[in-house]
Amino acid sequence: MKAAAFAGVGRAGVLRLVACLLALAAGITTVLLVPNSAKPPTTYGSASGLAWAADVLAGASLLAAGLALTIVRRRAWIGIVAVLAGAVWFAPDWVGWEEAAPLLRSAAMVVGPFLAPLLLHLVLAAPTGRLDSRAARALVATLYVVAAVVSIGEALLRDPFLDRYCWSNCTDNVFLVRPDQEVVRWLQTGYLLAVVAGAMAVGALVVWRLANTGRGVRQVVLLAGLGVAASVAFSAGALLLDRAENPSVTSFAALFFARAAATTALASALGWAAYVAWRTRSAVARLTVDLAEAPAPGSLRASLAASLGDPDVEVAYPLNGSRRFIDGAGEAVAQPTGGQGRVVTPIVRDGREIALVGHSRGDLAAEELAREIGAGARLAVENERLQAEVLAQLHDLQGSRARIVEAGDTARRRLERDLHDGAQQRLLALTYDLRLARTAAQSEGDEGLALTLEGTVDEAHTALEELRELAHGIYPTILGEAGLGPALRGLADRAAIPVELIDHSAKRHSSPVETAVYILVDDAVAEAARRHATHALVRVRSDRSRLLVEVEDDGAVAGSVSQHVRDRVGALGGRVERVGGLFRSEIPCA
Amino acid sequence: MRVVVAEDTMLTREGIVRLLGEAKVEVVAEVEDAEALMRQVRLERPDVAVVDIRMPPTHTDEGLLAAQQIRRELPGVGVLLLSHYVEPSYALRLLEERPEKVGYLLKERVFDIAILIDALRRITDGESVVDPTIVFRLLGRKRRDDPVDGLTPREREVLALVAEGLSNAAIAARLFVTARTVEAHVKQVFLKLRLDANPESHRRVLAVLAYLGAGP
Repeated sequence: MKAAAFAGVGRAGVLRLVACLLALAAGITTVLLVPNSAKPPTTYGSASGLAWAADVLAGASLLAAGLALTIVRRRAWIGIVAVLAGAVWFAPDWVGWEEAAPLLRSAAMVVGPFLAPLLLHLVLAAPTGRLDSRAARALVATLYVVAAVVSIGEALLRDPFLDRYCWSNCTDNVFLVRPDQEVVRWLQTGYLLAVVAGAMAVGALVVWRLANTGRGVRQVVLLAGLGVAASVAFSAGALLLDRAENPSVTSFAALFFARAAATTALASALGWAAYVAWRTRSAVARLTVDLAEAPAPGSLRASLAASLGDPDVEVAYPLNGSRRFIDGAGEAVAQPTGGQGRVVTPIVRDGREIALVGHSRGDLAAEELAREIGAGARLAVENERLQAEVLAQLHDLQGSRARIVEAGDTARRRLERDLHDGAQQRLLALTYDLRLARTAAQSEGDEGLALTLEGTVDEAHTALEELRELAHGIYPTILGEAGLGPALRGLADRAAIPVELIDHSAKRHSSPVETAVYILVDDAVAEAARRHATHALVRVRSDRSRLLVEVEDDGAVAGSVSQHVRDRVGALGGRVERVGGLFRSEIPCA
Repeated sequence: MRVVVAEDTMLTREGIVRLLGEAKVEVVAEVEDAEALMRQVRLERPDVAVVDIRMPPTHTDEGLLAAQQIRRELPGVGVLLLSHYVEPSYALRLLEERPEKVGYLLKERVFDIAILIDALRRITDGESVVDPTIVFRLLGRKRRDDPVDGLTPREREVLALVAEGLSNAAIAARLFVTARTVEAHVKQVFLKLRLDANPESHRRVLAVLAYLGAGP
């Protein structure tokens, strides 16, 4: 594991480490060696004690933030950029150090122009270290090229003795080949123009990003970056207007303090961001271990919310073969969307998106989450996704079961009504006509016909009775109209054995629930009679969420529960059980 | 006698109206739903309203609700409820508020002109009428340690007729015995069933039905 990590870092990592150490050494030497006062001042730091403190603080915090970022974001270049910026921040102090070796002063002069590109690069890359647009990359590259041209130009052509505005280093340039003050002037002007334009462009990009980001570390980093861009732009602009730079002049001093303050703020914000990223990463790493070890299906969202410190984390699993999404419990959810400070991170396994995680943008870069959910955890995520899929299918199945039962009930009710309004009424009319005919036969003295018709009326009555029982068997109308209580009392009236009814359900329930209870009591009582029970006791009671039905009898052999009762209760998500002579059922009735 | 008939099935309604016409009962209005029934009853103040339990618009228990409203609003108007259902609980619902001047008969019963006229007359006399099939269903109910089993056949007969709403005099006429004998039987039945109600009151029908419907 460790070896692999180092292998992953590779040569670039070693290079970075060396660069970091060198820059750090340069920074520390500066703080230790460079004098903090000079008359007249040859650096901003030597102008006053306060200026010296601001100078050291800004450079040191850049170095510290750079080191932190190098540790936390091993694969991003942002740490090295910050460290280099910290080192170059101190370059003017070397340039203006009159006792230093000429080579050192000249070298410092050469790296000096790179401060602005480094700072602006830092602003654009913060906090993740990525330049996420082509425009940003082009801008940073251009600034580096301009700085390189100016740096080389100054090294080869600038003779400090001939510099009219010289204030910091008026003696040494060991690289000088041929003095050409005119070209140096043009180069410097071009450089300042490029910095002003570049800083303004960076500022605009940062403002645009600020508008699209939520609250959190990222916002703070962006705000500090905006301050840096602004102070750099104003400093370069001021130099364009007045080349006679002088730390004793209030405007220049003020601009220096602004630069130092903004730089310190940016470095602090970056340090904070590094800390937050580190904390999040260790939380996610812990989560990863947890998930790999003991994944409790359905718990991923809660674990992620706790690890990321974001209670609104959404986890959505794409349902195979459809555009629907489900959560860990298999319930349908909307597809997580980004925007308004939120981002969506896909978790991919074997090239397939197995989950979408919606979380706040602030504390964690999206790719970090995807990266940190390692192979082991991906298995756990896939596991939860599969479980959620099964649950979703179960929900669908339950729904369709309930719909099938309900459709059956609706059909039975219609059939009962058709019998009542059709056949029963016609048969009734027939008995009426038969009676009329009988009366007519009687009055005409045809006793034989009257007797036959009398028998026919009785037949019709029997048919009516049978039809009535048939209709009642298809659907007991009283169940729908008066509810479970009266329907069960009717059932007890007809039962073949004594049935005692203790009904505490009181209120009405949904039609499928009432029908299921009626049918299961009917079934249980009939079954008890078949087993030669002498009586049955029916208890119905309900609490807030479920209806409890018990049928107890004293039948000889152990009873059973018919399949259609099981199906019906199962379709409602309830259950039935039979223990000897006691039949119990629980039906949810929210 | 003046009667309003409320029945949504044309065949049945016409049959009833014709039967009543032959028996010289005046049908002052024929209606098809509960709303029209209430309007006509308030307007005509008939002696009895003959009402189908199942009418538009929902075809459930509109007739029963209308019957209860008529009894509450116009105590002088009796109600005969017609139904296809052998459901004692419907009959009990009709009787429980005001047991006098109401009746519950199965539809096929009313085409027997004698039964229909007898029911209307008893209702106008302030009695109750309960369909014998309902009483039969209740009496046939299986009970544990059934006190009804302890009755003599004659007492059982008397109990059934009391449950149908007959007065002592009517029971006496039906059984070809004296009113006195009936009185003694009724007292004996109430004693054996441990019924608290006054055996002479109008509400004894309700007491008997409730007893029979109450279970083991």
